[in-house]
Amino acid sequence: MEPRPAMTVTTPTPAIARVAQRHPLSGTAMTGAEMVVQVLADEGVDVVFGYSGGAILPTYDAIFRYNARHRSPSGEEPMPLVVPANEQGAGFMAAGYARASGKVGVVMVTSGPGATNTVTPVRDSMADSVPLVVITGQVPTSAIGTDAFQEAPVSAVMGPGVAKHVFLVTEPRRLEATMRTAFEIARTGRPGPVVVDIPKDVQNWEGVFAGRGRLPITGYRRRLETVGRNRLDEEKAREFFGILARSRRPLIYAGGGVINAGAADALREFAAAFRIPAVTTLMGIGAMDTTGPLSIGMLGMHGAASSNYAVEDCDFLIAVGSRFDDRVAGVPDRFARKAHRIAHFDVDPSEIDKVKRVDWHHVGDLSQALGRLTVYGREHGFSGEFSAWLGEIEELAGTYGFNYDRESPLIQPQEVVEAINRLTSGEAIISTGVGQHQMWAAQYFDFRSPRLWLTSGSMGTMGFGLPAAIGAQFAHPDRLVIDFDGDGSIRMNIGELETVTTYALPLKVLVLNNFGDGMVKQWQKLFFKGRLSASDKSLHKKDFVKTAEADGFRWARQLSRKSEIEQTIQEFVRYEGPAFLEVIIDPDAGVYPMVGPGQAYEDMITGDFIPSRDEPDPASEPDTSGMF
Amino acid sequence: MRHVISILLQNESGALARVASMFATRGFNIESLNVAPTEDESVSRLTLVTEGTEAVVAQINKQLAKLIDVVAIADRTETDHIARELGIFKVAVDPAATGLFQAFMAERGAHLLDHDDEHVTVELAGSEREVDAFLVGLPPGVTLLALVRSGPLVTARGAVALT
Repeated sequence: MEPRPAMTVTTPTPAIARVAQRHPLSGTAMTGAEMVVQVLADEGVDVVFGYSGGAILPTYDAIFRYNARHRSPSGEEPMPLVVPANEQGAGFMAAGYARASGKVGVVMVTSGPGATNTVTPVRDSMADSVPLVVITGQVPTSAIGTDAFQEAPVSAVMGPGVAKHVFLVTEPRRLEATMRTAFEIARTGRPGPVVVDIPKDVQNWEGVFAGRGRLPITGYRRRLETVGRNRLDEEKAREFFGILARSRRPLIYAGGGVINAGAADALREFAAAFRIPAVTTLMGIGAMDTTGPLSIGMLGMHGAASSNYAVEDCDFLIAVGSRFDDRVAGVPDRFARKAHRIAHFDVDPSEIDKVKRVDWHHVGDLSQALGRLTVYGREHGFSGEFSAWLGEIEELAGTYGFNYDRESPLIQPQEVVEAINRLTSGEAIISTGVGQHQMWAAQYFDFRSPRLWLTSGSMGTMGFGLPAAIGAQFAHPDRLVIDFDGDGSIRMNIGELETVTTYALPLKVLVLNNFGDGMVKQWQKLFFKGRLSASDKSLHKKDFVKTAEADGFRWARQLSRKSEIEQTIQEFVRYEGPAFLEVIIDPDAGVYPMVGPGQAYEDMITGDFIPSRDEPDPASEPDTSGMF
Repeated sequence: MRHVISILLQNESGALARVASMFATRGFNIESLNVAPTEDESVSRLTLVTEGTEAVVAQINKQLAKLIDVVAIADRTETDHIARELGIFKVAVDPAATGLFQAFMAERGAHLLDHDDEHVTVELAGSEREVDAFLVGLPPGVTLLALVRSGPLVTARGAVALT
């Protein structure tokens, strides 16, 4: 056998420059595993989250050798492997990295249980449109389908609706092109997770690295080009401004698509140019500067009463990268009932008319579309008559904004958020688990920019917060990252506390402890006559502080006195290394307002501390059989 | 309403399963599905018949168009199209009914594929309605043993082709 030349080139060339240029390693003999790693390097991957095992060993070895060969003068590895406690953790770390940076997060795990443990983060990333490439080892091709040791049918498990796409690489000659195509699919169009299942013999195969080439996914590329070419033109802009001119109460309803498309600046400029107020979805938080004058907060099931009233009152709803999800439009026919017109901007054609029929839509790049509208409106000297509406909105915000029991002797969760927010001023990265704490965080934290708010919106995966924060800290080593978690959620991936200290991340982990699954309890109190079936944890023996200490947190404390909030939160946030804070909160604190499942905004209950504009109709109690 | 959908699909591992899964995960029934190679060896053509309300089928079509392996897709229900189906009928024929059956076959344009003392196998290519009518119209003394249908194969009229 001919000796293989050593891999020598280190610097990944920028994607654009690479096109014309011949890859310096083109023609080099490599194993499949080495090709995988080389493509990762070419794609600019600077960290891989994963857990090793039999069927992925060759590729882990290739990364080891790559890192050894390309160490920086100061000893840093170009592609460090970050090892979680559980592969689900690796998946959410990659997702946190991707959400916070906008880059593709990379996961590498072994076959069977390694792969199936990533199903939850893969589906979660699909539902929230997060770009991932998940490389799973597979048993050798000859053993596939024999119930071999650590075998799972990954290409079936990761089918449509779970992953954006899954490749099972059975022809080693296509491995290199498949890897490149996986990145292309993950980051283009509506982003999503792509799984590449690579049998062990394909990793061990030796061939010649081409340094170029992708798979012919002609239909996908053509559809992308069609959407890409679909620029908002003069006629469409004229139509849009025709509607806007007739409107007196226009309202922007911005979703996560704005953030994925990098269109927050274009949205802010558009809103400011014509003075149109905006509500955002849970996923759209940060699309507008939440401290800005036109941003009126989150809408939906736990949105601000004022935001939901604005939706009720608007006569022209402008949906941008949002999708009329059931947590926003529980009853589509009764959502924004007074809106004579609805406009919808999205990059995904399947979202148009999916839930609610719209009068005007544009499928294409959001930045281009919003930018074009701004230019058109300015050129035509458009000036809407929205002053009265903005006055009404201001009044709504003044009367029906968020509020809570400020006099209670018990620590209220909202005041914990407010205390942190005073220190972070909307600049910190906040991740959450799922449940009440997630909603309080969404309601009370400020976010000045996109990609600071990391939450499992669509899938609602408890356990997301800690690993996502770890991934975000790898993306932004110098930024303040806080996992704002709940006692139920953090338990799900609590093993990752160890990962925080292993990698010496200056992460802040805060657990609101209300001794149970608070949101479940809230629903049980509201809809199941208070029967707390399997949701109460007040008799559990868990000591969170000791848990954190056992995992190497030097700063781990419990906060239970109201008078100590300010001081403790300051120490916690300003501590230089990893810090863990458990806060004992009022176990009966609820999340309000609440639009019950399957109910319309006029049925919203606002709780004891926020006034309500309408008397909720007692007869309209939700039908518990159909709600979710 | 019944929908006939043509799909050009990249020949990739798992591609067909992904199309089928779009229907399965929504609890949709696939009435018939035909898959065969095309003039381009990297691409197969699927012809799929399903039933559902306009809104739901429109959404399924949009979701199918998001599958990476789908090269092209067309709901033929909406356009003027030609549909043909192949039916292979295995029947037992009473000796007394042989003449009647031969006349019936000739009238309907069916062809004999195979026969022995107890079984006769014939094929009929035509519209779905013709295949249905052949089944319903089998003369007395002819007993159906098995029916193999291809499901409809469709193409648009004129020069319009799915690419």
